[in-house]
Amino acid sequence: MLTFLGMFGKDKEKPTAMKADDRLALVLSYQRSDIDERKLKEFRGRLIQLCDDFGYDVVGQIQVIPHSRERTTIINASIPVRLKDQMKEQF
Amino acid sequence: MSHRSVAIVVTSGKGGVGKSTTVASVGLGLAQLGHKVCLVDTDIGLRKLDLMLGLENRIVYDLVDVIEGVCKLRQSLVRHKEYPELALLPAAQTRYKEEVNPTQVKHVVDELREEFDFILIDSPAGIEGGFRNAIAAADRAILVVNPEIPSVRDSDRVIGLLESAGLTQIDLVVNRIQPGMVRDGDMLSVERVQNHLAINLLGIVPEDRRIIRSSNTGEPVILDNKSLAGKAFSNIARRLVGENVPFMELEETTLIHKIKRLFHIA
Repeated sequence: MLTFLGMFGKDKEKPTAMKADDRLALVLSYQRSDIDERKLKEFRGRLIQLCDDFGYDVVGQIQVIPHSRERTTIINASIPVRLKDQMKEQF
Repeated sequence: MSHRSVAIVVTSGKGGVGKSTTVASVGLGLAQLGHKVCLVDTDIGLRKLDLMLGLENRIVYDLVDVIEGVCKLRQSLVRHKEYPELALLPAAQTRYKEEVNPTQVKHVVDELREEFDFILIDSPAGIEGGFRNAIAAADRAILVVNPEIPSVRDSDRVIGLLESAGLTQIDLVVNRIQPGMVRDGDMLSVERVQNHLAINLLGIVPEDRRIIRSSNTGEPVILDNKSLAGKAFSNIARRLVGENVPFMELEETTLIHKIKRLFHIA
């Protein structure tokens, strides 16, 4: 019975994009650049390392979103950071 | 080469988007314009063009027979009764795609160039051996796409493969467009599809119930003068011979629709 009721409460998986056009852009950029989730995870890991090398601390979720424009893929990365010194001052 | 001819592969990646329908109607359209046209069905094992053209009862030899030397090329060609300028080189129905290779198909197409102005090669769905056979001899390509994400994604992959094979002149035909759905935001627009694929737009073909009837009767829809799709295919043929034909206005303009728009309910 609980399982049955649970069916209604299940969270639906979020779509990758709300509009067909945005979804197509995402799908094409993944295909054209041979990008998959494993590669993106590794990419995010390297970005954290790169920020560290330049004296930044990553203070939130890194978002890496590929976009497709005229058969070229543009990788947009959103990296919330703070300078390491500023972090020390706060503490 | 003594005769100036062009070999065009009609392809898509995804199946069921209207490749054979396009080949049959555009081929007939070119023949109506007075050109010598040969349609080559390379979908070995799953031929369709014979049915689309109503020639299924007149096939004696096929592409595989020509390649294996069972018959001469001219013996395998089936001429259209009404338009003798149009010939079909049918695919074998009981053989497999793996039994021929791209070099053999190229050899056959090169021989066809001696007689025909246009050679339209109907490619099988997919990107495997049959696809490679179909593109081997082509000078340019027509990509048939439906305005939906799976079709566009497959086509994008096909563009990459065509370019890798040295085929850079690729034209787009957006088939089965439904203006009402586009207006309501439920279907990708032609502009968005073209923008994503970034290739030249050759034609826009509206969804048309008459196409189903035409493939069942063996009379390509271009012969149906009441069909909007038929008109669209005719325009594609004219563009292929260099005419400057404007794209059709597909927006619905019925009285009811106008009233709905007036009250902002459509």
